Amino acid sequence: MSLQHYLVISSILFSLGIFAVLTRKNAISILMGIELILNSCNLNFVAFSRFVTPAESIVGSEVFRFDGQIIAIFGIVLAAAEAAVFLAIILAIYREFGSIRPDEVDTLKG
Amino acid sequence: MEFTLKTFIFYGFALITIASALAVVTVRNIVHAAFALMVTLFGVAGLYVFLQADFLAATQVIVYVGGILVLILFGVMMTSGRLEMRIHIERGQLLLGGGISLALLMLLLTVIANTPIWKNLTDDGSPLTPTTKRIGELILNEKFLLPFEVVSVLLLVALIGAALISRKEVRD
Amino acid sequence: MIVPLISIILLAPLAAFAIFALLGLAKRNFPRQDYLSTVAMLAALGCSLLLIQEVVSDPKPITVEWLSLGSVTFSMGFYLDSVTVIMLIVVTLVSSLVHIFSIGYMHGDPRYSRFFAFLSLFSFSMLFLVVSDNLLGIYIGWELVGLCSYLLIGFWFEKDSAANACKKAFLTTRVGDIGMFIGMMMLFAEFGTLSLYGDSGIFEEVTTLESGQIAWLSVAGILIFCGAVGKSAQVPLHTWLPDAMEGPTPVSALIHAATMVAAGVYLVARMFPILTPTSSLVIAYVGGITALVAATIAIVRFDIKRVLAYSTVSQLGYMMLAIGAGSYVAGLFHLTTHAFFKALLFLGSGSVIHAFHAMHAHHDDEHAESDEHDDHSLVHEHGSEIPPDQDMRNMGGLRKKMPLTFITMLIATLSISGVPFVFSGFWSKDAILGGVLGQAMASNSPHYYILFGMALIAAGITAFYMFRLIFMTFFGEPRNQEMHDMAHESPWVMTVPLIVLAALSFPAVNILWFNENYIEPPPQHHIHSPQRVYVSPDSKTADANSGISLFGISEAEAAEDESGHDAEHASDGHHGHGPAHTIAMVLSICVAGLGILLSWLFYHKRRFSAEAVATTFRPAYNLFWNKYYFDEFYDGVLVALTVWKSRLFAGFDLSVVDGIVNGVGTVTRDVLAAFIGFFDNRVVDGLVNRVAAVTWSAGGRIRRIQTGAIQTYLFVVIGGIVLIILIFRLF
Repeated sequence: MSLQHYLVISSILFSLGIFAVLTRKNAISILMGIELILNSCNLNFVAFSRFVTPAESIVGSEVFRFDGQIIAIFGIVLAAAEAAVFLAIILAIYREFGSIRPDEVDTLKG
Repeated sequence: MEFTLKTFIFYGFALITIASALAVVTVRNIVHAAFALMVTLFGVAGLYVFLQADFLAATQVIVYVGGILVLILFGVMMTSGRLEMRIHIERGQLLLGGGISLALLMLLLTVIANTPIWKNLTDDGSPLTPTTKRIGELILNEKFLLPFEVVSVLLLVALIGAALISRKEVRD
Repeated sequence: MIVPLISIILLAPLAAFAIFALLGLAKRNFPRQDYLSTVAMLAALGCSLLLIQEVVSDPKPITVEWLSLGSVTFSMGFYLDSVTVIMLIVVTLVSSLVHIFSIGYMHGDPRYSRFFAFLSLFSFSMLFLVVSDNLLGIYIGWELVGLCSYLLIGFWFEKDSAANACKKAFLTTRVGDIGMFIGMMMLFAEFGTLSLYGDSGIFEEVTTLESGQIAWLSVAGILIFCGAVGKSAQVPLHTWLPDAMEGPTPVSALIHAATMVAAGVYLVARMFPILTPTSSLVIAYVGGITALVAATIAIVRFDIKRVLAYSTVSQLGYMMLAIGAGSYVAGLFHLTTHAFFKALLFLGSGSVIHAFHAMHAHHDDEHAESDEHDDHSLVHEHGSEIPPDQDMRNMGGLRKKMPLTFITMLIATLSISGVPFVFSGFWSKDAILGGVLGQAMASNSPHYYILFGMALIAAGITAFYMFRLIFMTFFGEPRNQEMHDMAHESPWVMTVPLIVLAALSFPAVNILWFNENYIEPPPQHHIHSPQRVYVSPDSKTADANSGISLFGISEAEAAEDESGHDAEHASDGHHGHGPAHTIAMVLSICVAGLGILLSWLFYHKRRFSAEAVATTFRPAYNLFWNKYYFDEFYDGVLVALTVWKSRLFAGFDLSVVDGIVNGVGTVTRDVLAAFIGFFDNRVVDGLVNRVAAVTWSAGGRIRRIQTGAIQTYLFVVIGGIVLIILIFRLF
């Protein structure tokens, strides 16, 4: 279980998330895609933190492998905030347009 | 690399994660997709355990599955009528999106494959040590205190903002 | 003394004119311009008389540098010799008398002051012409007198006839002036100077020419003579002078009888040294023909002033003939005497016209609209509209009404007719006839015999028509009783000049001309042929003094003097010696007597009817009456040619020049401008519009990129990222 394994999983999750964002016709599905992307990122952070440790994070004999994890925690927090705001926006859009299809919300169309 | 139970479980989690993620993006029923997402999040949490991040894994399950996923389901229910429950996909968009995603994946895999040092960085087999105490110290006492506070404020702002945006009517 | 005197002579009349002109600028009249001008002329006359003694036998030009053009310097200056002084006296004297006469004649004219100012200007110009020592100065004076003549002929410019006459005079003389100018330029081109006297003057330079080089000199001389032909009204440019009688009569007396027309003769006399045999012969022929032609025309005129005008032309022809025949002194002598008696005749006719004119004005008052009617009733023959107060057929019997005018005019008529011995006209005319005959006998050339015959016939005709004038005007019964009753003797300001001029018609007062030492003809260097020297063909000068030396000429003249003759007692003429003058004198007395007798028979005794003779010799009569058809010829040929040519040029202008201009305009407008307009509209505007349209449509197309759909943007963003990474990976 080298770093490579995690990176491959993360890449696949990321690509799937991108695919969902690009192709789904439902705002909530897009949100799910975004969650996938965030998860892949978090996974990357933790994996790199686990396997690649910067020299300065070694204090004495203790090896600090927590930077990635903490950033991942922040990422989860951000994901929560993001999900909350996203859903609020979706609700507002739904009230405005009666739909949450992203291709129907095109007021900015040139 | 010997094929141990640990390895077997790892691959199992990886497979569950990827498969469920695939389900998230392919299932046409949005509620099914949400549940597939839940599986994926569990899978990722499992992977975190493999990475010696027990606290993070727990947080992942609590926050994501217990919070975000419920939020998503609420969103689904509040916005979707019966017709909207099914996800429409256009063929052209699907192909193009698939192409781009696939290209991105190939790109990433190529990069990963062409970086041998990552292949050599393997699990040293060190035991899973509790990380909660250390993370608590880092967040609340040491170098991540300030980001932690900022994130707190961010969360607060996000909650207020979300509440404001999703209010039924704006009365002046 | 010479310089101050000549300055006064020139500046006094000029000042009189300048005062008028300057006050005229201030829109005011000098109230007594008449006295101012007259006093100025009298002052000039006094100075001229003083000059007689100042001019010694060796005159020198007084010159100042005038202007320099490159290497050529033109000088202005005066040359005073005896001829100049005599001319000065003649001009100032006649001018003074005319001024005085005009005070009466022009009384009450609305432009009274202007008349005197013009007379002053004319006097200045004429005097300037006379005293100039170079051709340039002479030419300036020449044109100035021409201008004054123009102004004064057209003085009553309200009359169409006067306005036409002044234009005719100016243009006709201009024809001659062009010739004169060309002649001057020929001399200038050859000698590089226009000065006549002095060491490098033309007269000195001309002595250096070889006899083989003088062909061009003949041409130059004839060309300069052309100016004189115009100014002195010689055939064929004589037609302007009779028409010039439209001017006031004093003007006719001063300008067109005594002075300006004589300027041509004076010019030829001045240029005497450069005349060659050829040019002399041309001059003599022109003079002779003029004398005869003008005299024959004068016979049939009824307008008193026209008769005198043709008489003037005829007499000027005499003078030209004299100079052309080498009788330099005789020509100038006749110029002087003619100036006096012809001025007298004109002023006398002016007196008559004035007498009638007062009546005529009165008549007009009574019949305000009858003027035109009167004119027509009095004009019986075509071609000449004679004002009633100038028509001799309205006169007659004025002898008793105007005794002073009658007597003085009779004296002048006797003088011009050549009544022997007591009248100066006889002596001068006889000098010419004798000179021509002498030339003929000496040269044995048929030319001069012919010229002598012409001159002799002209002399007889002159006597005839002059007495015709006298008989018709002063004798017989009044033909128009109404006009006759109104006629009266003129006031003293008019009669006094008549009396003075009458006195001048006697030889005694022309004493200068009979002083042989006073006037010497200048030498003619290129007349080498023995028979071509001076008035005395029988003198020894013929062979011996044909050369260069002025001294030799003087000697020749002195030799002439030995035969001794003074005006008072000489019976054989001024310069006449020997058979030539005797024959000439006898013949001239005969023809004059014959002319007077015939005139007496025709017009006083009415023994013969002039009408019957006219009927008998109808072709000749018509020829004379129509003035040899000169005017008709000019009108029919020259004027018509000019008009035709002008029309041609006008047509050329209108069709070709305007056509080119309009064509260019059309091409510019219709082709070039259209092309440019097209280019502007289509290319330039098209470019601008096309750019706008392209931008518009591009904007229309490009804005579709802005779909507003989030996923489209995401496609692009992610696709772009992939692409960028791919590119960086691959390269």
